[in-house]
Amino acid sequence: MTGPMLGSVSRQRAAAGLALVLLAVAAVLFPVVFSSPVVTNYAIYALIFIAVVTAWNMFSGFSGYISLGQAVFFGSGAYAVGIAARDWHINGVGVFALLPLAAAVGAVIAVPFGLVALRVRRHTFIVITIAVFFIFQLMAYNFSFTGGSVGVSAPFLPWSPTTFNDRFYYLTLGCAVVAVVLAVLVKRARFGLQLRAIRDDEDRARGLGVRTMRVKLAAFVLSATITGLVGGVWFLYLSQVLPPSGFDPLFDLSLVLMAFLGGLGTISGPIIGALLIEPGQLYLTIRFTNGYLSEILLGALFLAIVIFVPRGIVPTAGEWLRRLRTRGRPAVPPVPAAADPDPASSGRIGGTR
Amino acid sequence: MARQIYQAIVDGILVGGVYALMAVGLTLIFGVLDIINIAQGVLVILGAYLSYSLETRLHIDLFAGLLITVPVMFVIGVFIQWAFIRRLRGRERTSMTLLVTYAVALIIEGILYEIYGPDPKQLTASYVQSSVHVFGFYLSYIYLYGFALAVVLIAAIYALLYRTTFGRSVRATMQDHTAARLIGIEVNRVAALTFGVGVGVTAAGGMLFGATNAFNPNSGYDLISRLLAIIILGGLGSIGGALAASVFMLTLESLVDIWSPEWAIVVFYAVLVLVLVIRPTGFFGRPPVRAQ
Amino acid sequence: MRPHSPWLSRNNLALSAAAVLSACLVAACSSSSSSSTTGSTKATSSPTSTKPITIGASLSLTGDFSDDGQAFERGYQLWASDVNSSGGLLGRQVQLKILNDNSSPTQVQTNYQTLFASDKVDLAFGPFSSLLTTPSASVAARYGYALVEGAGGAPTVFASPANQTAHNVFDVSLPIEDEMIPFVNWVASLPPGQRPKTAAYPMADDPFADPPVQLAQQRLQALGVKTVYSKIFPAENASYKPAADQVAATGAQAVLLGSTDVPTVSAFMQAFEQQHYNPKMFICAAGPDQGAAFTSAVGKGNATGMMVPNGWYPGYPNPESQKMVSEYVAKYGGSPSDVNADVAEAYSVGQVMAQAVTGTKGTDNAKIISYLHSGVTLSTVQGPVRFDNSGRNSSAAAFTFQWQQSGTAYKQVLPVSAAGSVSIINPKPNWTS
Repeated sequence: MTGPMLGSVSRQRAAAGLALVLLAVAAVLFPVVFSSPVVTNYAIYALIFIAVVTAWNMFSGFSGYISLGQAVFFGSGAYAVGIAARDWHINGVGVFALLPLAAAVGAVIAVPFGLVALRVRRHTFIVITIAVFFIFQLMAYNFSFTGGSVGVSAPFLPWSPTTFNDRFYYLTLGCAVVAVVLAVLVKRARFGLQLRAIRDDEDRARGLGVRTMRVKLAAFVLSATITGLVGGVWFLYLSQVLPPSGFDPLFDLSLVLMAFLGGLGTISGPIIGALLIEPGQLYLTIRFTNGYLSEILLGALFLAIVIFVPRGIVPTAGEWLRRLRTRGRPAVPPVPAAADPDPASSGRIGGTR
Repeated sequence: MARQIYQAIVDGILVGGVYALMAVGLTLIFGVLDIINIAQGVLVILGAYLSYSLETRLHIDLFAGLLITVPVMFVIGVFIQWAFIRRLRGRERTSMTLLVTYAVALIIEGILYEIYGPDPKQLTASYVQSSVHVFGFYLSYIYLYGFALAVVLIAAIYALLYRTTFGRSVRATMQDHTAARLIGIEVNRVAALTFGVGVGVTAAGGMLFGATNAFNPNSGYDLISRLLAIIILGGLGSIGGALAASVFMLTLESLVDIWSPEWAIVVFYAVLVLVLVIRPTGFFGRPPVRAQ
Repeated sequence: MRPHSPWLSRNNLALSAAAVLSACLVAACSSSSSSSTTGSTKATSSPTSTKPITIGASLSLTGDFSDDGQAFERGYQLWASDVNSSGGLLGRQVQLKILNDNSSPTQVQTNYQTLFASDKVDLAFGPFSSLLTTPSASVAARYGYALVEGAGGAPTVFASPANQTAHNVFDVSLPIEDEMIPFVNWVASLPPGQRPKTAAYPMADDPFADPPVQLAQQRLQALGVKTVYSKIFPAENASYKPAADQVAATGAQAVLLGSTDVPTVSAFMQAFEQQHYNPKMFICAAGPDQGAAFTSAVGKGNATGMMVPNGWYPGYPNPESQKMVSEYVAKYGGSPSDVNADVAEAYSVGQVMAQAVTGTKGTDNAKIISYLHSGVTLSTVQGPVRFDNSGRNSSAAAFTFQWQQSGTAYKQVLPVSAAGSVSIINPKPNWTS
């Protein structure tokens, strides 16, 4: 590396570090600045979705296996906390100690689920995740220990509205941070590279020595653990879980949309997608009480997103930024002797899918 | 008890016909375009509403009305493919098609709510309530006619696929888009027309569904998951598989229903998972196609 | 070595964008939602010395419960306009703020938080359905609001932890468990030879539909009526026909259907008709009480003889109720028997709240809660209302209704001795068509 390049690298690192610190400070101070419970309510739901979409993206975005069964873990985590609190007579603050149980339940379910589902590819995989999702929803309806159609209620936490929301804000913030950190670690590790290899061409990856089943399963379980945990938190916040709300078919489609909008397979993509869509959806439903029109608009919006931002906001923005920065000149001056064998620097390994 | 079992089997077969008609379009679209059309549930409902309007405003019989609703839905299908689906390509194509078809479903549902409102409707005709007495069982006419219609339409699609030039193009496209293009097939046109055929057949499925169930714009969601299970079980892209899987699943569900209605639906999905574990391509599926 | 991958610099942009976005978004959401309040805390056209009383509610205007939600909205608004045209409450005009929750629990919670913290409404009305009432009650309890509602009568609502702690839920309608008791009592009053020998109890998987049927099953079994079918089926279109065919195969003389809506009932009726099976007695937990929505789905002729329990019907001989019915018909058209029972439930919610406000001479929610729990009896278009410790209406009258005269008349038939009851059609006539 030459001198100027070294300087620019450390400058970029410093800038990134500074941005992260600012972001952290802003996140922590957020409820202090915007103390109204209405605002923190939106923030809580946004953070819940940031965590879950990041977890989903960690598996589906990186590996290319689109899962529409994430709600299985979300609902199972919620029910785990609810059933444990009910049967073990836990009230008050003690319920939060049950959250690790929610995460564990998510992980435990993911193992057999993954072993069965990850043997098939693409569309069959999608439908198997849908089928397992419905099996879980129906089990929630049918078993008596899940409360049937009545569901499970959370113990009442008699805190003032602002305190209640603030505490849940920090809790969900923690979950989101954990999810993002894990996603970054996965992406940077060899594990992440293996996942991307599977996405681009699974057979070739296997031929190159990647233990595809293990890698897929590990990512699947990891994503399930986080999702289960967040499901438990959501249950405590909403104070109730029912079969159709814990296992909500539209939940999974929202995850796909948010991840897609932000940019599948990126880290910040899910964050942006969740931030835009979740509060937006809640707010628009309040604003436009003529619900049918809002449904049509929502559908039109999705179409617009897919057609005009097909690669997601973050990758597209990254491209604009690069074009701005380089003003048409290539970022790397081409070496005259040997042509650079690297394909486009966005990190694709090629292959078709 | 034996009587209940026979009744369940008969019910299952007849209702399976209705579901087959709804699923055929889905599997055809999948086979040629390699996409899962989540809007299929709502398209069934759209077909039901079209038949409803024809029946209540113009007093056209349900089956005769198909002569109008099928072409109309065909055109709608071609439009949807041409406007939204055609341009989807690239690595993220799978998630894009999920989102696009979901978006289309939302839009159609919203429009149906605006036009018809949320009250449930049902198609009525003299043969909907009445039944024929056969071997000690009552078989309702609508289901008999429906099953016959399903067989006829599926046979027609088979003929289309195996006896016409167009059908040959469709089958070639199913196998390999690039190769099909190389031999001069206009893949885009084939895709659009096939989407149209798939949606057109769904009009008939919609009419039957509407005659046998009360429906409102929201009813599409319950359907789509079952239809997906059926086509995967039958094998993606296999028409005959869709019919076989429909009849099989509905009969099985009907039998389990004797013991417990709550668990009958679970069986539906559990069987799917089980079969896929053993045979990932379903009953009559072919090995996964290479994407374009 | 390659220069720094664009991934990181792109991420810089993304991170800062995320920070800015989040702040902007939530700020926008919160400020807009408070400014969109149509003059709730500012005196607008009302006299300068009195501010309007604002009442917030979240209703299912779209989604699974949309037809009921919309009927409820009409009921709330009818009540508000009646109150305002007769001078308002304590001399102040009433302003409703109704938000749509799309039948979603997450949205319902957000809506009530918005209404309480941002719009700062004075009082709260409940949402539609027991499933949405429980999370609403939690929010209301935290903010200290009384939640007066008319459509959350399942046992779980009253047993919910929030209500058990704060006692803030008040259901003005009949607790659903007791709905079929008049029917059971009537069967018991028949001479043993005329009682049904066998009964079938198909129930949709819903907390609203099952309790009344299960309780009725217990009582009827004790009377000697044999249970030939008692199963819960999923509340999904495709499950109705198999369950109905099974019931038809039993040939039961009485059918008590745990239904929540018209499509369930019409699917059962259609399957029965196809099987040429006609039970002598047929009562449904819900569906036939939906007026025109019911008769147009099943056909007027077929509706004859169908029974349904309820706390109210359009012909209820109560002057306030009659007035409300004629106003509704004048405003929305149709005939009196088309009026949905939801409208009366919503109207009663308003009436109870109004009496609480005048009784406590203000809008202090804590005072209202203790007033409503004080054992006072209030009057509504659905009859008398008196709340027990958990918020149930212990004075609610349970009536049973039946469609008569070829589906054109919806008549009160039980309790036999109640004022306004006409003779019951028994056995149910055969299907027509």
